[in-house]
Amino acid sequence: MVSSFCWSCLTRLPPAPRAILPPTLTAQRVAAFHTSTALFSSPVKKKKGDAPVAKFRQAKSAKMKKKKPVERTRPPAVGERKALKKRIVLSNPNALEIEGMQDLSAENMVDARLRGSILGLPVPMLDQLRAVQAFKPKQGWSIFRRPGTVVRRETLELGRLIDGISSEGENKGKVVRKIVTGVKGSGKTVHLLQAMSMAFTKNWVVITVPEAQDLVIANTAYAPLSDENPNVYVQNDATAALLSRTVTANQKVLSSLSVSQAHPALKSAVKPGMTLEALAKLGIQDPAAAWNVFQALWTELTATAPAPGFEKTFKPRPPVLVTMDNLAHWMKESKYNSINCTPIHAHDLVFVRHFLSLLKPNANKPTLPNGGLILYATSASNSPAVYGLTVALKQLAARQAGVNPSSPEYPQPDPYLNADKRVLAVFDASKSTAPKEGALELQTLSGITREEARGFMEYFARSGLLRETVTDAWVGEKWTLAGGGVIGELEKLGRRLRVIA
Amino acid sequence: MVFILGVNFPERNLVKKSLESFFGIGNLTSTRLLARFHIHPTCKVGELGNKQVLDITAALSDMKIENDLRRQYLDNIKRLKETGTYRGRRHALGLPVRGQRTRSQIKTAVKLNRMERRL
Repeated sequence: MVSSFCWSCLTRLPPAPRAILPPTLTAQRVAAFHTSTALFSSPVKKKKGDAPVAKFRQAKSAKMKKKKPVERTRPPAVGERKALKKRIVLSNPNALEIEGMQDLSAENMVDARLRGSILGLPVPMLDQLRAVQAFKPKQGWSIFRRPGTVVRRETLELGRLIDGISSEGENKGKVVRKIVTGVKGSGKTVHLLQAMSMAFTKNWVVITVPEAQDLVIANTAYAPLSDENPNVYVQNDATAALLSRTVTANQKVLSSLSVSQAHPALKSAVKPGMTLEALAKLGIQDPAAAWNVFQALWTELTATAPAPGFEKTFKPRPPVLVTMDNLAHWMKESKYNSINCTPIHAHDLVFVRHFLSLLKPNANKPTLPNGGLILYATSASNSPAVYGLTVALKQLAARQAGVNPSSPEYPQPDPYLNADKRVLAVFDASKSTAPKEGALELQTLSGITREEARGFMEYFARSGLLRETVTDAWVGEKWTLAGGGVIGELEKLGRRLRVIA
Repeated sequence: MVFILGVNFPERNLVKKSLESFFGIGNLTSTRLLARFHIHPTCKVGELGNKQVLDITAALSDMKIENDLRRQYLDNIKRLKETGTYRGRRHALGLPVRGQRTRSQIKTAVKLNRMERRL
């Protein structure tokens, strides 16, 4: 009979007596005949699905594990989320400093040679611009070393306009009113910012409404203006905020001017010889008086001569820049409710009414006798569709092109679409008789030219954001991709492009 | 903390929400009340002026809310029961009142409709 053991297979032989081997290793050594070390072998796993050995006289029900309480972190402090959302970063220390980049100044804002280059915003002015909320959180200021804007054709025109209004010449003391429109990303808000920065360099007074929406979405307090006219509403908190923006940004100018008119509405709060800064601060401290204070400040800024008794301290008033962003929100009913629970039209808010009244040339009394610029921009990303506004802007464009309002080519509102009469009335301005009062104009921003686009792309390259050789052909390609030089699209291309190795 | 109709509300609460905490005031009534006193919908209780608080309290005390309204509800049901109507019987039996089928899903009726109805 053949033995069941093969000769070479010694593993089956009875093991050597255990006592000889060191006690710790025995279990592993004898485990199996393997070429790999025993240490690598995985420890014996418990088989899944093995029913636990039943114990006698114990409950067999499945044990429910108690859920651990989920650790809840505290919600962020009040206002923290909003502050994070509204945070504006104006500098990126990783971006390269650009050699020879000029700052905006009174001299170079009219210099046509700088067209297509980037002018930096002067560092001391940044606080002022922040105060008037000229920067918006979604704009790409945070990718560059320091904020700067492109000098495009419209910028130069604006520079010349502001220069003309504030210096001696035929345009001195002129009032220019403009509605800035354009496609999304065409630089409307930045155009307003450029106007503000130029106005600051010229020591104008800058009054801004950074977001028209805030006044009509019923997020701030409102009240009837007075018992006499209960259908007009005043927003005291919003007015106080406006005063606070104005004071912080124009502190230098306002503190050099003093009160020159009598203000019966403010009674004894106004003292003779008070600076306009102190006057405006009255409204910030007491929001209930904010609207009266704002009106007083406005009369002071539009004063041409002192009232009797105030001659001693009178100084000529500087021109005023008024800007507003996102016009369409002011052209429909607001979210506020009147006493009968019907929506209040935005034009019944006295704040809105005041700023819209500036668009109309006033025959009897000039709107801004010391000159100034009124720039209202529309928005293409967050704006309600208001049919009346669309028609009104078309009419405005037609009038500007020389179409007679009585001619059949003049765009008329569709009678079935119920265009808002009040909206049409705001823009329907006949030409004023006063020579200094400019009629309402429509400025449509479109793409920048190829040369300007080249300067803009070079700015990216020199900041170290774009690693490409900027040639005319390359810029032309990007210019086309950006819908004919729409600057917002160009910016996206500039920050997205990376070198292909 | 601000007292509105004898109830103390924390200052951080919305006025609209605080008003809606009263039995008998919902979205519509609270919106109307806010419009009547020129209070914007995102106003917090702490931002109310003294006069506004008094006005609201006065307006609320004129309205039939809370216990008065509850009593009216119960009285209406009681009247149905006393006149022996079908609806009154259904209320008393703990069954749906308005012609729903009773084969399934009558939990609400079972829970609420009973002899001594509570609100």
